[in-house]
Amino acid sequence: MAQIVFDKVSKVYDSGHAAVRSLELEIRDGEFLVLVGPSGCGKTTALRMIAGLEDVTEGKLVINGEVANDLSPRDRNIAMVFQSYALYPHLSVRDNIAFGLRVRRVPGEDIAKKVAAVADLLELTEYLDRKPAKLSGGQRQRVAMGRALVRSPNAFLMDEPLSNLDARLRGQMRSEIAKLQRMTAITTVYVTHDQIEAMTMGDRVAVMNQGKIQQLDTPRQLYDKPANLFVASFIGSPPINFLAGEAGALDGLPVVRIGDFTLPLRDRGAALPAGKCIVGIRPEAFQLEADGSAPGTIRAVVDLVEDLGANLLIHMEVPSAELVQPGVVGHDERVDSTKLRLRVTVDGYLKLSRGDTLTLSVNPSAVHIFDPVTGVAL
Amino acid sequence: MALVTRRQVAFERLGLAAYLVVFLAPVAWLVSTAYKPARDILSSPPRLWFQPTLDHFVYVLSYMDVGSLLRSSLIISIGSAVLSLLLGVPAGYALARSNWQYAKGVAYFFLLIRMIPAVAALIPFYMLMRDIGLLGSWWAVIIMNTMFNCAFVTWMMYSYFRALPRDLEEAAMTDGCTPVGAFIKVSLPAARSGVIASILFCVMFSWNDFLFASFLTRLDSKPISVAVLTAYGINDVSWGAMGALAHFATIPIVLMALFLNRYFVQGATNGVQ
Repeated sequence: MAQIVFDKVSKVYDSGHAAVRSLELEIRDGEFLVLVGPSGCGKTTALRMIAGLEDVTEGKLVINGEVANDLSPRDRNIAMVFQSYALYPHLSVRDNIAFGLRVRRVPGEDIAKKVAAVADLLELTEYLDRKPAKLSGGQRQRVAMGRALVRSPNAFLMDEPLSNLDARLRGQMRSEIAKLQRMTAITTVYVTHDQIEAMTMGDRVAVMNQGKIQQLDTPRQLYDKPANLFVASFIGSPPINFLAGEAGALDGLPVVRIGDFTLPLRDRGAALPAGKCIVGIRPEAFQLEADGSAPGTIRAVVDLVEDLGANLLIHMEVPSAELVQPGVVGHDERVDSTKLRLRVTVDGYLKLSRGDTLTLSVNPSAVHIFDPVTGVAL
Repeated sequence: MALVTRRQVAFERLGLAAYLVVFLAPVAWLVSTAYKPARDILSSPPRLWFQPTLDHFVYVLSYMDVGSLLRSSLIISIGSAVLSLLLGVPAGYALARSNWQYAKGVAYFFLLIRMIPAVAALIPFYMLMRDIGLLGSWWAVIIMNTMFNCAFVTWMMYSYFRALPRDLEEAAMTDGCTPVGAFIKVSLPAARSGVIASILFCVMFSWNDFLFASFLTRLDSKPISVAVLTAYGINDVSWGAMGALAHFATIPIVLMALFLNRYFVQGATNGVQ
C-alpha cells in the first residue's frame, strides 16, 4: 500500500530536454491513477521516476511519507509492467514469475505457493514451463502482470502494457486489469496514450502535455468539464470540434455567436466575458432538427459520411462559420494539412449522402467556451 | 514472388556441390594422405584406390607425445578463452550500456585491434615476455592470444548486449536486483548464445594459432598446431605423418563446432534469444 506524491518534481535530461516540469501530483493509497497524454508529454518519465529508473532533477518524490529521490529501485518495493513486457527470455514462465521472490530470498515453499496462486488467477497454469518466446502476445502480457502481482508490492506501475496487443485482446485485458486492481486495492499508476484506456480504467486521470499536468480529475469530469483546449481536444473520440466564436448577450441572456449562428447558453450561471472565444462542441452533442429556420441552429452541408455501424460520423462543411484547430494537440501529432470540417455523430440508420444540407441544434450544456489566448475554459 | 522452379533448384544444388568440392578437396586430400602407403602419397595422378594403412598413426604415436601436444593446445585455448571472456564480456556490456557518445567508437576500436597484423605485435611482445621470464611458458601464448581474442569478444558482446533491451535489466532492478545482479542474473544468461559463440571463436582462434605458439613456446609447452610442422624433415617431408597429426589437430575442433553449431551461426549473425 502506498501513497505517492510528486512535490514540484522536474526532470531535465543531459541533452537539456525538460521531460517533466515542476510536477505536482498526489496519488492516493489504493487508487488507480492513469497518466495520459501524447507521446513525449513526460508521462513515462514520471512513471520511471516512481520506479527509480530515472533520477529526479529537482523537487521531492515522496513514497509513503518518505523522500524516495535517492532510493534504488530495489529498495522501493514497486512492481512495474513494461510496454515490451521485458520477460526474461532465458527463464520459463514459472521462473519469470518467481524471479522477484527468489531475489528477495523468499523460502522455496512460499514461492511455489504464490506462483501457483498467481498462475491460477491469470490462467497461466498450463504454460508455466514454457519459455516466453513460445507464448502469444496476450499470454506474455499476463506473465508480465503475474510477475508484478506475485510480489504484493507497494504499488504497480504500468507503462502502456496493452499497446502491443490487438484491439480485441486489448479490450479484454483492459477490464481484467481494472478488475485485478480493484481486487488487490494496490496503488496503481498506469501510463497510456490511449484515451479510451484512460477513460475506462482510472479512478482519476491526469492529462499531461509538455511535461505538465493539464487536468487531474475523474474521467467523467474530464469529458464534461475540460479545463482547457488541450484536454478538450485530447479526450473524446471522435475529437471535439472547435469553432471561432464571440461571446455576448441577447435580450440579457448569455449567448455565443458562431458566424451567422447564435447559440443560447441558458444553463450558464457565471457570466461570460464578452469578446472573441473558441467554442468546443463534441460530435455527439449535435441533434438533427427538421425545421431549417429554428433559432439557435446551425446549417451544414454533408461532405463525407463514415458508417461506424451504430453511428454515422459525418464530416460537414459549415459555410458561414469558421472551424479552428488550436495548436494544442501534442506537437508531433498535429495535422495541419487536412481541411477542417465539422464532425457530427448521428444515428446509424439515417440515409444521408454528400451534398445534403442539415440543420443541427446543440444542447447548451454541452457547449464548451475557451479563451482564445490562454486556452483556458471560461 | 515467382515460384522457384525445379530447374532453378537443380542449378542451385549443382552450384553448391561445386562449392563443396572446392572447399573439401584439400580436406579429403589430407585425410586420405594419412591412410595412404608412403609410395602412393605423391603418385601422379593421385590414386583414388589404395590399400589403407595405419602406419603413419603408429609412427606419430610412437615418436611423438601426442597427449602432451593436445594438452598444451587445450590449456592454451581454454586459458585464453577464459581470460578473454572474463575481460571482454564485462567490457562489451559496459560499452553497450554507456551513454558516452564515443562508446561506439571505442567498441569499433576494439575490433580494429583484431585487425593488427599478428607479426607486428609479436616482436615487442616476444621481448616483453622474455624480460618478465614468461617466454616458453603457456602463459606467454595465452596472454598473446587473449590480447587479440579479448578485443574480438568485447566487440562481439558489445553488439549482443546492444541488441538486448534495457528493459530487461530495469525489470530485474525493480524486481530487487542490484545493477550488477541484473547483469549476472538477467543480461548474461539472456545473451548466453553470444557468450557461447565467443567461447567458440576464442577456442578456435587459439587452437589454430601457429604463429604465436611457434615463437613463444618451448619443446615441452608446444601445442599440436606447431607440432604438425615437425613433420617437415630436413631432407624430406613426411606427408603421411603430417596427415596423421592433422587428424589430432582437427578432430577436437570439428567435434566442438558440430555440437555447438547453432550458437556459432547465431554468433555470426548476431541473433539474440
